[in-house]
Formats: sequence, C-alpha cells, structure tokens
Amino acid sequence: MLKITAYADRISCFPGETVDIKVSATGLRAYDAELRRIIQGDINPDGPGYRDELIAVDLGGPFAAREQTIRTGSYGLVDKTARLCPSGSFTLAALIWPTLPGRGRQAIISTGTVQNGCSVFLDDNAMASATLTDNGRATTAASGTPCRERAWYVVVASYDTQSGRLAVSQTPVKSFPNVDDLGSSSVPARGHAAPPQAPFLFGAVDTEEGFPGCFFNGKIENPRIYDGVHPHETIAEAMLGRTATPAPAADWDFAAGMRGDRFSDRGPHRLHGRFFNLPHRAVSGCGWNSGLHRWTEDPASYAAVHFHDDDLYDAGWQTDFTMTLPPDLKSGVYAVRLFSHEDAQAEYFVVLAVRARHGRNDVVFVLPTASYMAYANHRLGIDVSETEIGAGQLLQLDRHHLHLQEHPEYGLSLYEVHNDGSGVFYSSRLRPILDFQPKVQGFIGGSGSNIWQFNADTHILGFLEDRGIAYDVLTDEDLDREGVAAFDGYRAVLTGSHPEYTSTRMLDAYQGFLAKGGRVAYLGGNGFYWRIAYSETLPGVIECRRAESGIRGWEPGNGNYWHQFTDELGGLWRRIGRAPQQVFGVGMTAQGFDLSSPYLRNTSSHDPRAAFIFDGIEGDILGDFGLNGGGAAGNEIDRADFSLGTPPHALVLASSRLHTDIYLMTPEDLLDPTPTWSGTQCDMIRADMVFFETQNGGAVFSTGSIAWAGAMAWNGFDNHIATITENVIRRFAEKTAFG
Amino acid sequence: MARYTLGDDDLPHAAEFMESPIGYHSPGLQRVLNLMRGGALDGKYVLVTIEPCRRWALARLPGRRGAPVSIVSGVEYTSQLDAERDVFRRRWHELTGKELPF
Repeated sequence: MLKITAYADRISCFPGETVDIKVSATGLRAYDAELRRIIQGDINPDGPGYRDELIAVDLGGPFAAREQTIRTGSYGLVDKTARLCPSGSFTLAALIWPTLPGRGRQAIISTGTVQNGCSVFLDDNAMASATLTDNGRATTAASGTPCRERAWYVVVASYDTQSGRLAVSQTPVKSFPNVDDLGSSSVPARGHAAPPQAPFLFGAVDTEEGFPGCFFNGKIENPRIYDGVHPHETIAEAMLGRTATPAPAADWDFAAGMRGDRFSDRGPHRLHGRFFNLPHRAVSGCGWNSGLHRWTEDPASYAAVHFHDDDLYDAGWQTDFTMTLPPDLKSGVYAVRLFSHEDAQAEYFVVLAVRARHGRNDVVFVLPTASYMAYANHRLGIDVSETEIGAGQLLQLDRHHLHLQEHPEYGLSLYEVHNDGSGVFYSSRLRPILDFQPKVQGFIGGSGSNIWQFNADTHILGFLEDRGIAYDVLTDEDLDREGVAAFDGYRAVLTGSHPEYTSTRMLDAYQGFLAKGGRVAYLGGNGFYWRIAYSETLPGVIECRRAESGIRGWEPGNGNYWHQFTDELGGLWRRIGRAPQQVFGVGMTAQGFDLSSPYLRNTSSHDPRAAFIFDGIEGDILGDFGLNGGGAAGNEIDRADFSLGTPPHALVLASSRLHTDIYLMTPEDLLDPTPTWSGTQCDMIRADMVFFETQNGGAVFSTGSIAWAGAMAWNGFDNHIATITENVIRRFAEKTAFG
Repeated sequence: MARYTLGDDDLPHAAEFMESPIGYHSPGLQRVLNLMRGGALDGKYVLVTIEPCRRWALARLPGRRGAPVSIVSGVEYTSQLDAERDVFRRRWHELTGKELPF
C-alpha cells in the first residue's frame, strides 16, 4: 500500500509564490521532498520512457513522518448557543427522507455531548428515536415502527420536565393503505436535566472520540426547536406549513445561503450555521411538487439537504512544509516528489501547474484540471463490473488502485454513487488524488500504456519537449477565474487528451479567444461535454449535475438539475444549446476502450487551406499505431456534425472508418434504439479530424480522439501523427492571420 | 441481469476467442463476453500489475468498498493475451460446470 499520500492547497501558481504541502506518511520514520518538472509520465516499457527533471531548490527536510486521517461524512453545525428553552422543556422536529434506513444509527439533530446531551436519530431498526443523556445515563424512546426508504416523515421529539417524559413520533407525509409506518412512544425520563446550552449538529452527533459520527444518509429539512412541550400532531402540522403556531425558538432554513456552505436560523436568536463536507444542496424538498425546477424560483421547495456518510470536501490536513517556488522557474507542470530512503516504493507526486507571469511563450497548454477532479480517485474498475465490457479486456489494477480500494475515505469522484446510491455531485482537490500523478495507470486507457487523464496528457508534454516547442501551462481553474484574460499574450492554445468538464466561464474564454483571432488545437476526445460549476466561495471543488442525457453512471434525481454553486442548469453543453461542435468543430459520438483505429484522409485534406497540416505527410492512412489501443482514433471519439454546429466551412480532413462493437452510440444520439448503433455498423461512430478558420485570423484544429496523444508518443514521438501535430502548432503560433 | 446462458452452441465462439482475445469479435462471441465480463463484482477476476505492461497476478475483487483485493495464489502472467485465455477458461467452467475442451 502507499506509505505516502499528500496534497497541496493550490493547483496552479506563479513563480515565487508559496504552496502548502500536506502529507500523511505511515510505516516510515521520515521522508524527503524535492521539486521536479514532469516531462513524460508513462512508464510503459514500449513507450517513450519516463522523464522528469530535478529542480535545484531546497525544500527542507527530511521531514518526520506522521499519519493524517480523513474523516468523511457531511453534517451541519451551529456553534453559537443561546438559551432557547427557558422552561426547561423542549420539542425538536425535522422533516427527513432517509436513504439507508436500518444501516446503523443515524443522527438527525443532536446537541451536547455523549455524556450530557440530546439526539434525535434513526436507530438500527430505522425507527425515529430520541435519547437524553445526563452524566452518561441515557434514556431512549423509539417510535416502534421503521421508516421506509426514500419517503418523507415528520419526526418530533419532546421532553417534559414536569412529567419527566421523553416522547418521539414519526409521521409519514404520505400514507398508504395497509402500510403502517406511523409510530410514537414515550418513556419516563424523570430526573434528567434539560440539555445543556450547547452547539447543534444536524446529520451527525459528537462521538466519544471528539469527532462527528453516526452520519445521516438522506435528506433533512427545516430542523426546529420549540420552548416547552407541544402536541406532536400540532408540530407535525406546523412542519408541513399548515399552521404557523407555535413559534419556534430556532427555525433553521437550509435554503438560505444556497450557493455556499452557510445556512440561517429564522428564529429570534439567529443561530446561523455551516455545512461541512458538502452535503448535496439545491435538492428537492418535502414540498417540491414538480412545478418549478430551478431553486432560485422556489427556494422553499429546496430547503432540504441530502447528507451522506461518505461525503468529503476538505480533508483538513495540517501543513507539513511550505514551499516557495523559485522566482525564475519557467512555466510548466511540476510535482513535489515525496520519497523515503527507507523504502524505494514510498513515492508520491503532488502535481502543480506553474504559470508564466511575464515573457509568455506563444503556446499554452491548458491542463484540464476540472476533468482531473471529475475523475479524481475514480473507482470505475473496482465499483462497476461492466467497465470490463467497455474495456474489452481484463481490468488492470496498479498499487494506487489497490490503495484506493482499501481506503474509500479518500473520497469519491463524479463517476461514483454514494453509499446510498445517489450520484456524487461534488469533487474536490483538497484531498490526495491518487490518479493525479505521473507513473499511474488507468482502467480504461485501451490496450497498451493504459493511462488516462493527467498521465495521458504527459504524452503531450513529452511531445512538446521532444520537438522543442516552447510552451507555458495554465489550468481550468485559472480559466474559470480569469476568463479569456488568462489567454492574454498567447497565440495558440492546446487542450489535453480528455477535457470533458467545462464551466460556463471556461467555454466563454475559449470562444472569446477564438473571436479575437486566437488558435485552438483540441488534441483530445469527448471534450467540452458536461457543464460544471466552480464555487465563488469554496475553493478547489467542482459541481456537476448530469441532467437528462449523456453517458452517465447516475442521474441527479427529479428537480435536482440546477447547480447549487451557480444557479445554472446542469447537463450536456449540447442540451444547453452550446454543443462542442459549435466551437471546436467536433463533439462526442462514441466510446470504447479496447482497440483504437486509424484515420483515413478525406478529399478535404488536399484543400490548399489544409496544406500546412499535411506538410511532409505521405499516404492516406494516418495513425495506425499508438500506445493507446494501437491507433490514433479511439477511447472516446468525436464527430463533426453540421446540424449540431460544426461551422459550414470546416474541413473534415480525415475520419476513422471502423471500430469494434464495444463502441456504441451516445445516449443523446440514440433516440430510438435499434441494434445497429455499434462500431462495425454505424458510420456516425467515427473520429473526425477537423480544421477551420475563425473570425479575425483565428483557427481551430481538432482531433476528436483521446487516443491521439498516445499515437503522438509512439516510436519515441517519431511518427506522422506527431508531425501533423507539430505542423499545426507551429503554424498556429505564427503571427500571420488565417484568412 | 444477464438473461443469456452459455451452452455447447457457444463452443465455436470460445474457439474464436482463443484465437483473438482482444479486438473485433463476432456477435455471438461478443454476447458470450458480455455475460462473462459483467455480473457481480464480488469475486470478479481482475489483474494486479506486478510490472507495468509486462507481468500481472490474477486477483478477485471483494465487491465492497474498503475490503482488500484477493490475490489468486500462484497465478501470474507475462502475456496479457494468456491472462485473457486463462480467465475465459475459468469463467467458462464457473458458468457451465464444464472444462473448456481446448
């Protein structure tokens, strides 16, 4: 297993800036750190060879090894306190929609400590329950009947200091004949003091270890506390909005502050709170009736929050050392390499993009860090059996996969479902991302090197180094924050092999750059497919709602199509009216992860406008080789489609003509399924290589294939796919306008 | 979820697989592979990389997050295609109760 894992507070920085490195090291006494420039991360012996470069900078160390842990599970915290219940008696209430009822004790509302406190929860048998604890002495009441999964309930608990009775009830919002899930009970609890004036937790309880635990899986809406004891029927009516009395002492509104992690208390004490580990917000609540789908239009219907015991935002590790980047460091992809002389296998790379502040090169490579985060620690090969069908071969697990399988606390990617089966909406880089390193392999990289995302993109970095093309780098995060200004000073923008996830500001930046005469070489496949959102207030996290269509392992649930962070509709850019063909000429058409195919040149490739692309190229078959499936067209492939917005003057230079039957049409194209939409039968399943000019002297070249980069790297970068790419980049970097 | 069951009619497809485990397959063989390669995660065969692109151990998935992957003792491959053929034979036996006759 991995003895060292780590992450940084930043993913992109300028020379001279500082970066905090956070490390967990086990089974070692000490480790060392060095800075390396990453040039080529593929370790396939048939590839161009691993290559990085040591940077002469002292990072300190050796550092004492220490273990840092990750605690998953989302919850809400109100850390301010007030004297809410002067009478000593109290009534607690909430709406709940449990998704894993019966899977252990799950807290709904809690206050105080294990020794002295009160909690409302679902017990091991899924019954609404309440516990009062007084100097370690606990009294518990349970409803007597289990809650059903994914059904709304009003849960009420009360304690009467006069009668000394603790009562709890659960009331289903919707009842069915012969389904008896209404329950209540009360028990004597004489001698208990009222709970101390203490913080409140929602969806968790403070444990004896001092950390939140007993996480709730499912939705909680509008927790309240009332001074005094009230009939549970009355409170249930109030919770469903049928009566406004009595007035609560605290009335937490989870719809307030929706774009961030804060929520508010509408009660007189204003005990506002904060969510931790990013539970799902902007999800349909108990009163949602399918009339409105956008949370800003009907906030009251979106006052629920969906908690999960495996949510994770910020691992919150302590900083082990702070690195100051040399002021003269040239732009590029770097990594802090952590290693130990005690064990040669103990090695971890914390990857960073270093940008150019001044003296920019003409060419910039955009590290698709949004897509790296979307796939961060993805478990497609260990959670999804059918991945082997799509790969067309046995799945291979390397040591980072084995570590991930044994440590799910490293958190999920946008490809997983939570333990309760709901899709993962958020992915953060504030945790170790084991597959964001050189030397790692993937599950679905095709036959050959079998690399994916970041490590696959090092084939492009290696090519640029091999051909002596000077380049800078920046990240998706920079693009989202700065917009088109991030491209200032550059003539040619290069994409990664699979820039699938794109925010509105990112897509606007590409379009703005092209409108100003910029040139873009899209060197990948299935790019610009899903819309994502970055947060204005929460650093290092993206959100994705996979609404309505697209190749997806989950769907967001009814009413949950609009992003929390931005109030934008989620889903495919194609569905939102901005198909990738409009900007890049091609867009996703099919995927398969066994063999890749060559392109065959079309007559358009002989158009004089495209002559610079094919300078020195002979023959009509292009890319019948590669480290990624043995061909240049493969894995995930894009087609030109004039009906979806490929510009009318675009030249479709070359196309793949045949793929295996692993390759199937995308669902958004498969409107009326017939058994003809596979790689050997359907001519829409092809990668198209496209070139076109844009306004003001700009141009676009697109390969429409993830496997392109693996073909560039074949034979030590000495091949005609690499030559075509070099021809394009060198012309794109020239000042001369395209006409 | 799978409806298809293997039978003697699939022996020609098995022979086709042994000739060419990865790549273009007949519809009949693809249907066999869809059955073999899908199904339950618990106990599913995978390869664990010992030397990248050169040497692998056979292993089985645990089917739940957090549990270790189990190495099948003593089974290693130095050819990816040999691994494919061996696992095909194992799955054939598990699905039909019979040894593949070739």
